[in-house]
Amino acid sequence: MSLPVSQMWAVASYVVRQKLAGRKRYPLVLMLEPLFRCNLACAGCGKIQYPAQILRKHLTVEQCLAAVDECGAPVVSIPGGEPLMYPDIGRLVKELVARRKYVYLCTNAILLKEKLEAGLFTPSKYFSFSVHLDGLREEHDEAVCRDGVYVQAVAGIKEALRRGFRVTTNSTLFDGASPLRMREFFDEMMSLGVEGMMISPGYSYSKAPDQEHFLRTQRAHDLFSTMLANPKRGWRFNQSPLFLQFLMGKRDFECTPWGNPTYNVFGWQRPCYLLQEGYAATFEELLETTRWENYGRRSGNEKCRDCMVHCGYEPSAVHHTFASWRGFRDTVAATVTGRY
Amino acid sequence: MTDAATLEGWTPQIGPGLSLEEVVDKAFDYRGNVTLVKTDGSETEGYLFNRNADAAVPFVQMFDMNGAGPHTIFYREIRTIRFSGRDTAAGNSYAAWLRAKEAARSADRSEKGSGSTPPRGA
Repeated sequence: MSLPVSQMWAVASYVVRQKLAGRKRYPLVLMLEPLFRCNLACAGCGKIQYPAQILRKHLTVEQCLAAVDECGAPVVSIPGGEPLMYPDIGRLVKELVARRKYVYLCTNAILLKEKLEAGLFTPSKYFSFSVHLDGLREEHDEAVCRDGVYVQAVAGIKEALRRGFRVTTNSTLFDGASPLRMREFFDEMMSLGVEGMMISPGYSYSKAPDQEHFLRTQRAHDLFSTMLANPKRGWRFNQSPLFLQFLMGKRDFECTPWGNPTYNVFGWQRPCYLLQEGYAATFEELLETTRWENYGRRSGNEKCRDCMVHCGYEPSAVHHTFASWRGFRDTVAATVTGRY
Repeated sequence: MTDAATLEGWTPQIGPGLSLEEVVDKAFDYRGNVTLVKTDGSETEGYLFNRNADAAVPFVQMFDMNGAGPHTIFYREIRTIRFSGRDTAAGNSYAAWLRAKEAARSADRSEKGSGSTPPRGA
């Protein structure tokens, strides 16, 4: 794991405080979507398929900060849309860093070099660019439906690193991903000098029969087991090692849909970052009135059946770490040895 | 995301075979503007982004065509909903993109193999 010690400490002490306070449900990462606009049009992306008047809308910085304060999570992830297209992104990041929130700006990096040269951001231990890369050049350009994006993203990463910024990558993998090519991708990212990588299976909702469901889950386990087998010492992942073990099929968790709550121009999204079943006006309303028992694998909800995505299961892994000495020991062991 | 048939242009008739709640759910899932026809005969056009059938008084919420809102409208005020705007999700699935890309590759291959380059010795 490649998280800075200060960030690990901030998250750990936050979780312990929540447990001591007896809070049953608490957020870890706020997914803050200030806009839906994007300079890519990736096939199947549900975030950008809206009428024009919705794509033109964005949150104000004050709305964003109110949501951050209301939620209280120690980490704020800014996806979108493309956050570098948000007109006040520089001010928003500055305000969040001033609040000592750990900020991940999730970007396709097409505009990264330009925005860095414009002096929009200042390096900070609280601030990291999380560059979306779904693999090496061929795979990534195919995933985002445009040639040349990988090269632009790598140029942006190099420029950010040169200027002293924290840079991580985030990769979504679907059926058909090559474990071998992904291992080459990990090597390539590490050689660029990124701080760490985040990986997650894509979300596929299907009304497939049970047999197919089994194969889907099993395929995901096979993919991640092969990909992460005998991990190289130099690979660094910016996520819980227990979550990686979950992806490999070595552990089983239940979903924690309130762990990464989502706020956007529609309000607080029910129940999670992926499913849109409605919106609440306040975070408290989201927590209190969402029927959480209807979500997660055990609920029998077919929309949750095949889901193994980080926004639901990484909070479960973090919770497990602090739920028992054994969980803590397993996390430390995997972190120290680099084996999953 | 699948390539399911779009509801674009649909004007549902609410009655014994189709409840208002079902139509509201479909409008909520629809990725285009809709026209909400009220019981008083007035109409509101825009994007329906929220619905709560479990509330004490069930309601929907919309942003209008200018992006203003949210406007809250109670179920009891709704006569029907027309799926009047373009479905922005139609044909944009990953599967559709893969098919288009494969078709483009096939066309490219057949063009290269069609004799556009003179054969050696010609």
